[in-house]
Amino acid sequence: MAAPRQSISRKILAVKLATTLAALLIAIAAMVAYDLRLYRQSWINDLNTQAELLGQMTAPALSFDDPKVARENLALLRYRPKILAAAIYDARGRLFATYRQPAGEFPRLPEGDGVRVEGNDLVVFKRIVSDREILGTVYLRADYELFDRLLGYLGIAAIVTVLAMGVAYLFSRWVHRVLVRPVLAITRIATEVSEKRNYSLRAEKLTNDELGLLAESFNGMLAEIESATRGLQASNREAEREVGERRRAEEEVLRLNAELETRVKQRTIELQATNAELEAFCYSVSHDLRAPLRSIDGFSQALLEDFPKEVPEEASRYLGRIRASTQRMGQLIEDLLNLSKVSRGELARRDVDVGELARQVVADVQSREPARKVEVSVWDGMQAYADPRLLRAALENLIGNAWKFSAKAEQPRIEIGLLRDGQEATFFVRDNGAGFDMRYANKLFGAFQRLHSANEYQGTGIGLATVQRIVHRHGGRIWADATPGKGAVFFFTLAGRNDAAPAAKQEAAA
Amino acid sequence: MVALTLRLAFVAALLWAQAGFAQTENRPAEVQIKAAFLYKFGDFVQWPPAALARADAPFVIGVLAADDLAGALEQLVANRSVQGHPVAVRRVRRGEPLAGLHVLFIGQAESARLAETLAAARGQAVLTVTESENALAAGSMINFVAEDQRVRFDVALPSAERGQLKISSRLLAVARRVITS
Repeated sequence: MAAPRQSISRKILAVKLATTLAALLIAIAAMVAYDLRLYRQSWINDLNTQAELLGQMTAPALSFDDPKVARENLALLRYRPKILAAAIYDARGRLFATYRQPAGEFPRLPEGDGVRVEGNDLVVFKRIVSDREILGTVYLRADYELFDRLLGYLGIAAIVTVLAMGVAYLFSRWVHRVLVRPVLAITRIATEVSEKRNYSLRAEKLTNDELGLLAESFNGMLAEIESATRGLQASNREAEREVGERRRAEEEVLRLNAELETRVKQRTIELQATNAELEAFCYSVSHDLRAPLRSIDGFSQALLEDFPKEVPEEASRYLGRIRASTQRMGQLIEDLLNLSKVSRGELARRDVDVGELARQVVADVQSREPARKVEVSVWDGMQAYADPRLLRAALENLIGNAWKFSAKAEQPRIEIGLLRDGQEATFFVRDNGAGFDMRYANKLFGAFQRLHSANEYQGTGIGLATVQRIVHRHGGRIWADATPGKGAVFFFTLAGRNDAAPAAKQEAAA
Repeated sequence: MVALTLRLAFVAALLWAQAGFAQTENRPAEVQIKAAFLYKFGDFVQWPPAALARADAPFVIGVLAADDLAGALEQLVANRSVQGHPVAVRRVRRGEPLAGLHVLFIGQAESARLAETLAAARGQAVLTVTESENALAAGSMINFVAEDQRVRFDVALPSAERGQLKISSRLLAVARRVITS
């Protein structure tokens, strides 16, 4: 942090001093050059004038050959100490009068009008002309002092430079205090803020100008950031709290779910055990009931066959009734065993041609009553993913029902087909038989529910319950539509490959 | 142009100076010095305007009783001028009127009758120059004297004032003696 501060101060100082120095040097050089030129010119002019005056003054002395007067005239030059030596030459070029210097040191002969520099001296020759006649020549040697003057100037320049640099330095210190320091203060605060993320810092307002304004706006910005940060932190905390709550709630839900699942599993196990017991009981009862029934039937038949004369006619009729009843009961037990079978065992699903299955069932039914004429139509291309044994049982029941209830129709007709509604395939078995009253539709699939008397139509009332169980085991639905005397339609669906598993599960749970 | 003129004049002066060197090894003869002085006096004396009214009027130097000086003077003043006027030398005999003269030199030979001659010149704007002792007292304005073998002169201002002549102080500066009253 110290480095940039040093750097900007130093830069400003260096620039200021360099500018001052350059300006000073250029100004001094120009001034010195101008002054030296002026000095030289004025000094030359001065000497020329002096020589001219001397010439005019000594003209009579020359004219009247009076060196003493000429010397006296020259002696006046003592008031010009810078004139080191002077001489008057007469018209013939001989030394006439001298000043300050022995005669031998003067040029032997005068020269034409002119000025020249000899070493550190300025030498002037000036003709004394009167009435277009040359009376003589003035010779002046003066201290040029150009170098002394130059040295003097350099001394002054050095002093001025030192003073100016000092002033410039003080000025730049002032600038630093007034301009740079507030900026540096803001910079320092900015650095500190960005390093420590401490937004409660404030820049000091040092001046009342734009820099002060800058500091104020900077502080305003910091205040805004501070409040925004605080708000953000608060909302962060709130969000965290909410997330925590939600997580807790989710955990609770998961826990409850797990508990529920455990309970369900337990119940399922219990239920399965109960179910299994029940079915086993039902099976064994049905199985065990068949033996005495068969005895009753068998002995009744034996009575009728072995004692055709001893048994009165009426008794024979009773025996016939006993036999019919035992046979019905046998059938009932058979059906119950079927229902039980349907419920037990694993589903072995595979692709089944429902049409083919239906045609086999129809052929079986027909073979039992070859005399009946029923118009049967089975659609082609009906595929399902199901347990073929169970599906066959279901079709046997449905087609059997259709066959049975259309017995009294004039032109009995049975149709087995498939309706597609999107992905779902709905099979149907239609007949034009007795039909039923839709008011009793809810009782249709209950075990031992019969809508027709046993006298009218034979049956145990277990068939549709079996069908419903099979459909449910496949994850499907079953429903019916009917009009009394006009016929009935039974619809059922079988869940496909994808929903087979949950359906199976569902069935298992039930 | 002026510079060229000056240079020409300088060259001429050098030539003249060398001619002078060739002419005399010794100092110039006293007569010649006096002649030169006589001619140069003209530059330091102011005559009344009437004396040199016309621009081309000659500046006349009269010489009485000094033929050798007159000769030297004649040689010297050829093509020269005094105060812009051409210079003429006139040899004057005793008793001749002095009108028209600006300078009158009276030779030593006339010393005896000096007062008379000076009296004739009195009241006229003529610069009288003599080379006799006590000439100033007799009314001469400038009198040559010999000093250290050099030609010097004394000036009597009252006499000049009487002749309405103004003698330049620069001339007085180189005079040996100036009589003011």
